Amino acid sequence: MNARDSGTDAVVNAPLSNILDFGMDTISLAGTLPAKLAAVRDAGFSQIMLSARDVVGHLDGLESAAHAVRASGLRVTGFQVLRDFEGLSGHLHEYKVDVAKSMLEMCAAVGAKVLLVCSSTSTHATDDPDAMARDLRKLAMLALPLGIKVAYEGLSWGRTINEFTTAWDIVQRAGAPNLGIGIDSFHIFAAKTPLDEIDTLDPEKIFLVQLADFMWQEVRTVEERIATARHFRVFPGEGVHSSALADLVVRLDRIGYRGDYSFEVFNDDYQQMPLPTVATRARRSAIWLGEDVLRRAVPLPNRIRLRRADA
Amino acid sequence: MTQVSDRELTAVTSNPLAMDGIEFIEYSTSKPQALGQVLEMMGFRPIARHRSREVLLYRQGDMNVIVNAHAGGQPRGVQPAETPVIAAIALRVRDAATAYRYAIDRGAWIVPFQVEVMELNIPAIHSVGASRVYFVDRYREFSIYDVDFTLNPGVDPHPPALTGLHWFGIVQYIGSDRMAEWIEFYTELFGFSVLADEQRYGILPKGRILESPCHSFHLQLIDPKPGIFDPEPVELLQRVGLGTPDVLKTVAALRQRGVAFVESKGVHSEARGALTQSYLGGVMFELVHDERA
Repeated sequence: MNARDSGTDAVVNAPLSNILDFGMDTISLAGTLPAKLAAVRDAGFSQIMLSARDVVGHLDGLESAAHAVRASGLRVTGFQVLRDFEGLSGHLHEYKVDVAKSMLEMCAAVGAKVLLVCSSTSTHATDDPDAMARDLRKLAMLALPLGIKVAYEGLSWGRTINEFTTAWDIVQRAGAPNLGIGIDSFHIFAAKTPLDEIDTLDPEKIFLVQLADFMWQEVRTVEERIATARHFRVFPGEGVHSSALADLVVRLDRIGYRGDYSFEVFNDDYQQMPLPTVATRARRSAIWLGEDVLRRAVPLPNRIRLRRADA
Repeated sequence: MTQVSDRELTAVTSNPLAMDGIEFIEYSTSKPQALGQVLEMMGFRPIARHRSREVLLYRQGDMNVIVNAHAGGQPRGVQPAETPVIAAIALRVRDAATAYRYAIDRGAWIVPFQVEVMELNIPAIHSVGASRVYFVDRYREFSIYDVDFTLNPGVDPHPPALTGLHWFGIVQYIGSDRMAEWIEFYTELFGFSVLADEQRYGILPKGRILESPCHSFHLQLIDPKPGIFDPEPVELLQRVGLGTPDVLKTVAALRQRGVAFVESKGVHSEARGALTQSYLGGVMFELVHDERA
């Protein structure tokens, strides 16, 4: 049985609600990779966002981790995260290319089709947009033979690129077919980027959308943003930005985005709660977004997607 | 900038590696003798053997074919199996080191060197699937085979090509929605250009055709068939295309040598082209009408 065959089991077994577009991220859960995979699958999700740490930290090594992922039947939403890649020169650039290659090899091994790259925070990196674009173009080329797309995300504490609008500018400058942007709702709300800017994006070039809510109205300083982003995020609908999140998702849907939504929820409390409890909260969030916000119809069992005739 | 330097600049950027055609096509197989018989049927002659590995050189006219039965044991490399696969394309370039550096700077993956004492170190990068692209700059005054290969006794090292056969191109199968990406790969790293959709050759005009910057050969990229549910379509170099000034004459000459052609309602031998049957579980050759000889 191959991964895709077993993947349909997860869909068929999912209770009848439309959460196919949504997935959990392993960073929300404590424990081992197999435990995380089981919890996410048991909650009815069909996809999961993996982190390099899950794979590297797996007791029996990379091959065994890749096997566990395939055997779970879950589709891999994406693989994270390559940091501080663009804008470096000389030996720093060479070093980061080696890191990127290692990430890409792991990404391919677990069957992930998207590698998430966060905008650089490094003070050693140039702020020249063309140099950043050139580096990301090279990264996209490294990913290309492996069939991997690169999603470039503007971290709200990125040194030069800290909003999806500027990340989009770099992606357009680079002009590589497998380079697009990753959107993380947390960084949009933290940086207070106007949601109208979503309309300027090409939906085909949004390779990943990560969603999270949080409990504070404002995160003014960089330190506060980092602390909130890494410790106090909650699932969509659990914080104070639910209506803005719903607005964001509706806008993405309206411009034609039909890709995945992953719950990028870093939360210290969730790290010390039973996995099924956390996964149930994620599921509730997915049902809210799928049924109340996007008003998706309930899927038919055994749904398969045929390739477009014009592809 | 003067007109002359403008012109020179264009020439440099349109053929960044100073590419000059195909030096060899490499097949990998654990049954080298069986593939050798197929190649001989197609008009190739066994020329030489590698000094230290189970690797054979076949040739006709300007076309070299390497048959590699040596298990390299490298990650992401082709391991010889019974069904031969196209494992590499070697490109002639002005300077192999420069071409190699050009590709690496733009995001190519290097293939680690594995050479024995006194053997040539031919730089290579990873390409589609488990295949590679080699860069060769010694093809004029002396050849790479002079160093690593021993000539078969009594053989004519330069047998003429059967009915003017020459490299026309290579057909690559690609995954779903991968056309733009593979076009990017070949244009960015090697300077290929995409031909207009109406410019077609042969009898299997699917996908998109790219032309080498030296205008001497083509790559044809073919997507999976629409409407068929295949979760992971395999990406590989599927077959080579041989050019001939007279397809039907070549078909007749090859038939005499025992080659069978596909003759169906959709695909059959005609003046534009022909397709051999599949040998050894997957080796086939396409003939394409092309006046160059």
